[in-house]
Amino acid sequence: MPALPKDMVWTVVKTGMSARAEVKTPPRFKTGDRVVARNVNPAGHTRLPRYIRGKTGVVHRYHGSFAFADTRAHGQGDQPQHVYSVRFEARELWGDAASAHDALYIDLWDTYIEQAK
Amino acid sequence: MNGIHDLGGMHGFGPVVREENEPVFHAEWERRTFGVVNLAMGAMQIHVDEIRHAIERMPPAEYLESPYYEHWIYGLEALLRERGVITRDELARRVAELAKQEKK
Repeated sequence: MPALPKDMVWTVVKTGMSARAEVKTPPRFKTGDRVVARNVNPAGHTRLPRYIRGKTGVVHRYHGSFAFADTRAHGQGDQPQHVYSVRFEARELWGDAASAHDALYIDLWDTYIEQAK
Repeated sequence: MNGIHDLGGMHGFGPVVREENEPVFHAEWERRTFGVVNLAMGAMQIHVDEIRHAIERMPPAEYLESPYYEHWIYGLEALLRERGVITRDELARRVAELAKQEKK
């Protein structure tokens, strides 16, 4: 069974084992782009919550690229992707009764979103 | 997975209660769980995403009724079984042994 080598322990404890990883292609989206969270229902691990699927938001900022949780959770490797903070208005998520002043920022991997039409 | 962990937007859980001066751990077993799970994750090279997914697979009613660190224990036990480190029977035997010792 592979184990964390002893000489790496301190680095891991100190840096919190960052999931940051390089992606060769440029990010697909930029700040201000309108995007739709994909309506998918994967049986495995995902960090795409149900309540944003099919909803439209705006890219707030680009975070860089990170190992993909959906593949790492199943031993399918890092397969890093670009990650964006996307802003969703509360009314887009919860309807007209929600506050017009509230919004949610959620970090999303590239394949979770598509360009809004 | 559309599991019980994905609670966003659900009603009926009551208000979020904030504890004043909340301690890092509420009991000694929570402190030990934190240590044991982190140690096992390092020793077995378990990604955080793997243990998160193991926790998501908890039976939903059990998930809602158990505290946070019990989720950690459940997740680790599931991964130990799936990777062939321990069997369900071995774990049950050890739990029974410890329960007996505690009664004495």
